[in-house]
Amino acid sequence: MKRKTLGLVLTASTLMSLTMGGFSAQASESKDVSDLVIGEIQYSVVEDGGWAQAMHEGLVAACENLGIDTSTNLLTMEEISEEDPALIQAAVEELAYSGADIIIGGSAGYASILSELADEYPDIVFAQQGNDVYDNIVEFQIRGYEGMFQAGYLCALLNEGSNELGFEASMDEASVRTAINAYALGAKYANPDATVQVLWADSWYDLDIESNNAQSLIDSGIKYMGMEASSPAVPQTCEENGAFCIGYNVNMQDYAPGAVLTSFVWNWTPIFEDIFQQTAAGTMDHSANYYEGGECSALADFNSDLVPAEIQEQVLAVRDQIANGEISVYGGELKDDEGNVLVAEGETMSDEEILAQDFFVENVKGGK
Amino acid sequence: MRRFRLEKKTKRSALAVLLNSILFVLVALAFCGVIIAAVGFNPLEVYGRMFSRAFLSVRGIRSAVESGLPLMLCGLGVSIAFRMNLNNIGAEGQYAVGAILGGAFAFYGPKLPGILGILVLAVCCFLGGAIWALLCAIPKAFWDVDECITTLMLNYVALILLSYLCLGPWKAAGQNVGQTEKIPDSLALGEIPGLEVSVAFPLVILIAVLMFCFYKYTTSGYQISVMGKSLTAARYAGINLKKNILLVLGLSGGLAGLAGFIQFAGITGRVQENMPNNAGYTAIVIAYLSRQNPLVVIVVSFLLAGLQNSSATVQVMGVPAQIATMMQGAIMIIVIAGDFFLRYRIVSVKKGGKKA
Repeated sequence: MKRKTLGLVLTASTLMSLTMGGFSAQASESKDVSDLVIGEIQYSVVEDGGWAQAMHEGLVAACENLGIDTSTNLLTMEEISEEDPALIQAAVEELAYSGADIIIGGSAGYASILSELADEYPDIVFAQQGNDVYDNIVEFQIRGYEGMFQAGYLCALLNEGSNELGFEASMDEASVRTAINAYALGAKYANPDATVQVLWADSWYDLDIESNNAQSLIDSGIKYMGMEASSPAVPQTCEENGAFCIGYNVNMQDYAPGAVLTSFVWNWTPIFEDIFQQTAAGTMDHSANYYEGGECSALADFNSDLVPAEIQEQVLAVRDQIANGEISVYGGELKDDEGNVLVAEGETMSDEEILAQDFFVENVKGGK
Repeated sequence: MRRFRLEKKTKRSALAVLLNSILFVLVALAFCGVIIAAVGFNPLEVYGRMFSRAFLSVRGIRSAVESGLPLMLCGLGVSIAFRMNLNNIGAEGQYAVGAILGGAFAFYGPKLPGILGILVLAVCCFLGGAIWALLCAIPKAFWDVDECITTLMLNYVALILLSYLCLGPWKAAGQNVGQTEKIPDSLALGEIPGLEVSVAFPLVILIAVLMFCFYKYTTSGYQISVMGKSLTAARYAGINLKKNILLVLGLSGGLAGLAGFIQFAGITGRVQENMPNNAGYTAIVIAYLSRQNPLVVIVVSFLLAGLQNSSATVQVMGVPAQIATMMQGAIMIIVIAGDFFLRYRIVSVKKGGKKA
């Protein structure tokens, strides 16, 4: 399901639930949305300050918006390893036993196993973070490049007198490359000469390496950086050195109020609300695929002490231009860091290529 | 005035070992019970639900067997090395290299018919683990390089290699997950009809029984124990130390490599980025808790796996996930600490040195 259709589907499902309310004889198929029981499976604890927390907060917000009592109807399974199929299966069975209507897999690593289990539980909607790979589970993904583009744009605007920006990245992997590339493209949109120096942690979570990388970037004269890392290490290192960064996953302003300009936040709430409403209405397509941008791929509130009002407005204007299609993040002409043309002038990259990024754009330095 | 003195016990019966373990598991449960109560839950209710779901239901037993299989093989591998007093801390890496070599065969090797393919796959995984262990066994045998350090360090090398392959050249298309495509069906181990348990389970038990007989009824098996107790004695007895170090560490690594085989041919059907998932480290504890008895390794692995799976059960009750992990840790530490009372007795001594 593409972004533009989300609104349509929302309207359609609302209409449908209205009409279905009119024919109460059909109510056996549907149930009140506030009665839904939602199971959540996460690989870490939900207060990890990163990925799992962003998703958990999205679930809680969606529940609250729809009147679902999170203390009784949101069942959270933490520390369920992606490498242990028996444990994942045990978690699913426990959730099914407890009456779950929807089971949300928080990490892409569950997809293959949930897809195998889904057929055993036809009454449960399995929804899984990830790309559209399986036909019997709902898969959802956010167009993270939209928010990251705005982040790069913001940093380049603030980075007066210099063309060099930094980026602290975790593992060399398509979703991480997406973040780096979008940040670099946003920076280039503000300043055609802007370059982005990447340093790699080669780990999903490593306080020491992330901190060292941030320090190295700062030592080389870089003042503004983006990140694709889950710990508070980069913001805190920036704060100690008078540098600035964009928080990632969750709003990181509290970690380092003197350094975090804003944060890129995975906002899953609209997707979850749609899944909940459609499941309650009995209209959920078990093979649906969400790939959403807009408010899902948002920046948190700006840190007004660090970002002047007129720059905030410029960034918001870019956000709106992405939303109405005036800016195409992956529009041509787009070259990779070896000078090859990726997208010709006037064309746009397909979603498949965006999701499987195996390149770095022209102004990225230190890609792999 | 009374004083106390430690006295080494000379004998311990199997029954005493069993009772000691049970006693200290209960102590561990009591300890965790206090914490569970402190978090606001009734420990008896939590334990009741955990044990009934994990060990008293068909589903729970199946899951415990499935999760336990890699632990069993790594545990068997580590225990044979421990028996000879070789500290193989590298089961994690040997498991990973087993999976890598197996993966290489599954994805690039010739398509062999039927059972032959599965056998070659198993041999590849075994060799992967064995070769990785031999990298440490050779320096140990010839230059007395501490295997504790080398096996540990090579874990990191192996895991990074595995992670590189799963995120890089071997990655399944269209996903952001560090895992390969599914292996061909012809290479997948089936389930025992009617029981829904992987056919790997009886194979693992067979390996354990063979190892048990090897220790008990063969000269080579006996030699391993002799070397474990005293190298000097072994040398006097004319046992070839170098050869045995190579053999035992190689076998130990090979068994851990087989864990990779069982996991990806029998359970996941794919090679995954973090495939060993600490099984190689848990195996060290398993080897210790089971006192290197291969049959006990099976039981302990099964129990630990069930305990691990019960973390899902307690979470549905609202108990934090960490409780199950804490219980695992507490049981391990307390049972190992309880070992002290098997080896020593506390004797009360009157001043002047006479026993009371």
